[in-house]
Order: sequence, then structure tokens, then C-alpha cells
Amino acid sequence: MTRSAPVLAALAVALTGCAASPPLAAGLSAAAPRSIELASTPFFPQEDYQCGPAALATLLVASGVDVTPETVAPEVFIPGRKGSLALELVGAARRHGRLPYVLATTADEMVDALEAGRPVLVLQNYGVSKIPIWHYAVLVGYDADRNVALLRSGDKKRVEMKWQRFAGTWHRGGRFAMTTLHPGEIPAHATPARFIEAAAGLESAGQRPAAAEAYDAAIARWPDEPMAWLGRGNVAYAAGDRQAAADAYVRAIMLAPEDVATRNNLAELLLDAGCLDESRKQIERASNLAQGTALASSVADSRAKIEANAGTVANCKLEDRAWPD
Amino acid sequence: MRVESFRRACVTLMSVSLVSLGMQVPAAANVVGTSEAISASRITDARAVVDATLARADVRAQLAEMGVDQAAIEGRLAALSEDEIASLADQIQGAPAGGDALAVIGIVFIVLLILELTGVIDIFKKA
Repeated sequence: MTRSAPVLAALAVALTGCAASPPLAAGLSAAAPRSIELASTPFFPQEDYQCGPAALATLLVASGVDVTPETVAPEVFIPGRKGSLALELVGAARRHGRLPYVLATTADEMVDALEAGRPVLVLQNYGVSKIPIWHYAVLVGYDADRNVALLRSGDKKRVEMKWQRFAGTWHRGGRFAMTTLHPGEIPAHATPARFIEAAAGLESAGQRPAAAEAYDAAIARWPDEPMAWLGRGNVAYAAGDRQAAADAYVRAIMLAPEDVATRNNLAELLLDAGCLDESRKQIERASNLAQGTALASSVADSRAKIEANAGTVANCKLEDRAWPD
Repeated sequence: MRVESFRRACVTLMSVSLVSLGMQVPAAANVVGTSEAISASRITDARAVVDATLARADVRAQLAEMGVDQAAIEGRLAALSEDEIASLADQIQGAPAGGDALAVIGIVFIVLLILELTGVIDIFKKA
């Protein structure tokens, strides 16, 4: 699978069949609270087919963004499908400066999120696999002693649903669950790969300050992750801070000397700063590494541009330093 | 006199546009985004690379066809990575679109009825 966005991975799970769900108490870790209810979570009763905008607005308002289902609907609703796609909920959360974090496909992370005070948006399927009835709701708590999930759902502010029924509809819905984080927050059980990919989504969406905040948090927690340094370099470069970008790229290359993207971006930055010899050196290295990879054509474009500048004279505007070999 | 001032205006216009042409020379940096770098590290076969421009155009057209306001489409696409747009292009018709479960409870009833009549389930018990 080449385009493995977390959402796709989550959806693939749905096809693997129906596992019987155990009662909540059986799956709950000993350290987890017996019950949680985020009672202050806002509630927006949904209008026709608008459960996507309503659920998204619930999460965003809970994390301090001033929206309503009506204001987010144009960002996610698809009239022809009478609904909203999970990927677009992810995109819309970015547009409001929040980091959409798609949870793992087990219930543990939902419990973690609730413990941290974050409501969880879930995709449920009230039908069967062949005839699905899709619905978004927001999980705001659970009670293990009474074996129920607590939801904001549809036009009901507080739904108590038997845990197995909730888990079953979530399972048939492809186990999609997400929270919206402030970009500097890292969930307790986050893995570096998933968190950094989520941060990269903010970068793709052009949310530069939010992406920078997320990369900084990632670097503080996992200082040896090259992709976090690449990300920090990219947002610094986009903001015009060549010195900071160069530092971050060099650090990323120290951690992952064969990373094509970082070499390419460093070469671009060096060209931009007038450091032509160093730029050529980096793009040659990138070019050799890129052969047969998805980035080959991108690197070839950079290389052509750098070679076109071969004859020009320029002064390197970056402070003298040892660039990586 | 009039010809002279026209000539002067032309020369001024020409020189201004030449100067601004010169300023455009540093082309936009061809930086590989972090999402792109992460997805490239997963792709082992370069032939599997999706044409991002094509995928974007495809999703744009499909959203418009499904009634999304033209003015809103660009902003929605801009919030997604190239990878995500490519997967949307594939699954926009079939992916789960959460809508209104309550409005279709009737369908559930019909399905249950069919299952009951065909003997798959037995929930409408006679007294």
C-alpha cells in the first residue's frame, strides 16, 4: 500500500471481519479511571445530514476555537454524498490551527485521550458492512461499572450506549477516531512517526506557525528523529529564516545521511543563499540517492536549476561552517 | 510633442517591466515538503508515484460534481497533503461519508424485515 494515510489504514481494518467486542471493564487497564465524563464538552444538535460539521465543531470548540457547525459545514460537507469524509474533517481541523491526531485502531488511545480531557470524534456504522449507515459522534466519556460509552450524538446531548454496541458500530465504521490537539501537545502514547506525520500535515496545509510549534514539541520529545528536523527546516525556510533552516537540515542529515529530501532542500537553500559549490555538492549526493525513488523527478528539477547557475559568481551569505559530506 | 511624450511613456513602461522581470529571476525554491518526504520513504517503486496535479484536478472536479461550492473547493484542497488528495481521488465516491444515521433507521427496519423473512435472523418473535 503506497498511500498509507492513517485513515486508509484504519479503513482497511474494517474489512477484516467482525471481532466480538468484550465489555469495557475487560479491556480497561488497571491504571485507567473506572469512569470519565467530559461534561463541559459543548453540544451542537445536528441538522439534516450535518453530523460531520456538528462533531467537528464540538471538538474544535472544546479545544478553544470559535466555530459553529454552520461555519465549518462549507469546509467539510459534500452535498452529493449527504455527508462528510473523515479526511476532510482532518483537513478542516488544520485550517483552524489545530493538529488533527488520528488515533490507533484500539480503544486504549481513546481512553488516554479522555483522561487528558480531550473528546474523541468517532465514525460509526449503524448498518452492516454491505449496507452501511455512517454517522459521526463524539465520545465524551465512559463508565466501566455500568459498561457504557457516553456520547454527544445527533440531536441528543448525552447518549449512554452499551459499550459493546458502541465498539461494534465503531469497528464496522473502520475504527476511525481523532482528536484535535493544540500543536504543541503530544498525546501520552503517541509514536514519533504518527505525531511527526500529523505535524507534516499542518505544514502541507500552509499552517506554518502551528507546524513549527508541533515540530518543536516533537524535537523536544524525540531529538533523534530526522523527519522532525527536516520539518523544522522546511518551516524555517518558508518563513525566510535561512540560518535556522540550514541548522535544522544539517542536523537531519547527521541523523539520516541518506535522506534524499533533506539533501535536496539543503541544496536549494544553499543555491538561494549564493553558496553554489556547496549546493552542487549536496544536489549531486541527492541525485545519486534519489535514483529509482519517488523523489527522482523532484531532485532532477532542482539539479537542473542548480547547474544552470554553474557559471554565475555569488557570495555565500551563510556563515562559514562544515557542511555534511 | 505628443509623440515625444508617448515615446517617453513607452520607454518608462518598458524599463519598469524589464527591471521587474529581472527581480523575478530567483525561482521559487523546489523544496520537498515533509509529508512528501515521509510518503516517498514508504514508496519503494517509483512507478507507483501518483501525478499530484492530476489527482488534484480529479478531486476538484468530483467535489464540484457533488455540489460543493466552487469557491470553497480550493481552500478544502489546500488543507490536505498530496498523499491525502491522491487517496481522496480514489475513494471520494465510496469512502464513508458520515451523514444522518437517524434518517435512515427506516432502511434498517426494512433490512431486518428482509433478513427475518429469509430466515437469516429471528428477532420478530411471535407470541
